[in-house]
Amino acid sequence: MKEHLYLKLILILLLAGCSSVDIGSIGRIAQQTFKAATPLSDEEEYYVGRAVAARILSSYPLLENNKLTEYVNFVGHTVAIYSDNPITYGGYHFAILNSNEINAFACPGGIIFITKGMINAVQNEDELAAILAHEVAHINHRDGVSSIQKARLTEVATLIGTEAAQRYAPAQLSQLVSLFEGSVDDVFKTLVVNGYSKSQEYNADESALSYLSRAGYNPEALEDFLERLINQGQASGGGIMKTHPATADRIEKVKEEMPSAKVDISSVQSRSKRFDNATK
Amino acid sequence: MRLFFISSIIIISTAVSLHAETATVITKQTAIRESCRFFSPVKATVHYDDVLEIISKEGDWYRVQFKGFQGCIHKSSIEKSSISLSNVVGSEKQSTSGDEVALAGKGFNPQVEAAYKKENPSLNFQAVDRVENYKVLESKLIQFIQSGKLNLQ
Repeated sequence: MKEHLYLKLILILLLAGCSSVDIGSIGRIAQQTFKAATPLSDEEEYYVGRAVAARILSSYPLLENNKLTEYVNFVGHTVAIYSDNPITYGGYHFAILNSNEINAFACPGGIIFITKGMINAVQNEDELAAILAHEVAHINHRDGVSSIQKARLTEVATLIGTEAAQRYAPAQLSQLVSLFEGSVDDVFKTLVVNGYSKSQEYNADESALSYLSRAGYNPEALEDFLERLINQGQASGGGIMKTHPATADRIEKVKEEMPSAKVDISSVQSRSKRFDNATK
Repeated sequence: MRLFFISSIIIISTAVSLHAETATVITKQTAIRESCRFFSPVKATVHYDDVLEIISKEGDWYRVQFKGFQGCIHKSSIEKSSISLSNVVGSEKQSTSGDEVALAGKGFNPQVEAAYKKENPSLNFQAVDRVENYKVLESKLIQFIQSGKLNLQ
């Protein structure tokens, strides 16, 4: 009798082990369906980001300046490492757009553009780091892909949920390309035309302060830059101002969230020298 | 008594094997480092979909084993997947936002990008490739951080 009891116990446990596999499969299907309400996978976000970058680069040419590009990448990577998501599917990449507009764009997945006009508008390395940290925060928060219409993502989930293969038949591919194009349009419009929501911008500022502080940059550089925009009368108009909330409101929020740790001013000055060298 | 002993061993070994934790790499390429911090020497390079065995967790890093190499990988480059008895009753939550592994290569993938490119020949994907191919040498980045008196992890 006891032997039967033990055998039953073993059988139950082994069946439980098998059922975990089934539950996992069910979970995957459920997650594919749930995907409609959540951001895309990192890999899909990367492909959307590349297409958004391609659209931006069709309007704004790259600045051909290796020395400055290397410098911007050093600053950008330094803050990205101290962000909440330091590694993305395709990694972070920073590039300069040859435009006098004061602007910066964070493409989903990790490509970040800063215009020549923005580099001219910042006064030192810490301010440049502040701008790049703000853009890294948008990527961390997945603000770009969050602007994709939910209906498109639902359709993508339905399409791929029934397809096991990773290569699509022409009809399915055509549907996916159409959804991809719509998704890229949604993100592009948000980045370049309409801007993120106020709360997304405030959150990006808040995270930027944290990344700057962790990296050893002066977080007050973000406030300094915004103050100067107001003082120079550039706080309204085109470029970044067209797509961002009122600068005075951002300054107020930034002041509220400013980390208390003090930064060695002499190190800020020494970084300013290399900023001058890189940008002259 | 003998049956009790044998069945106990089977139960314990089943439970242990079902509790093994693995992780799948969800970035194109990343490093397994000697210690759990950025800029620590690279012991191995792993690629998308490689499966690693998790040994322990250290802050934002996991100590893992892969093809005989042991080292650390940052949490943002992997998706944890554990098969455990506790999962059966739903008491252990999976660690990531979505099942990247199940969706690998599906949805918006290189095939979709290629078709989109063909339909939109004016888009500058060549410039995007140039931006992505621009590499920052880790040794030069370390030098940059140190000379700027910034924090080196």
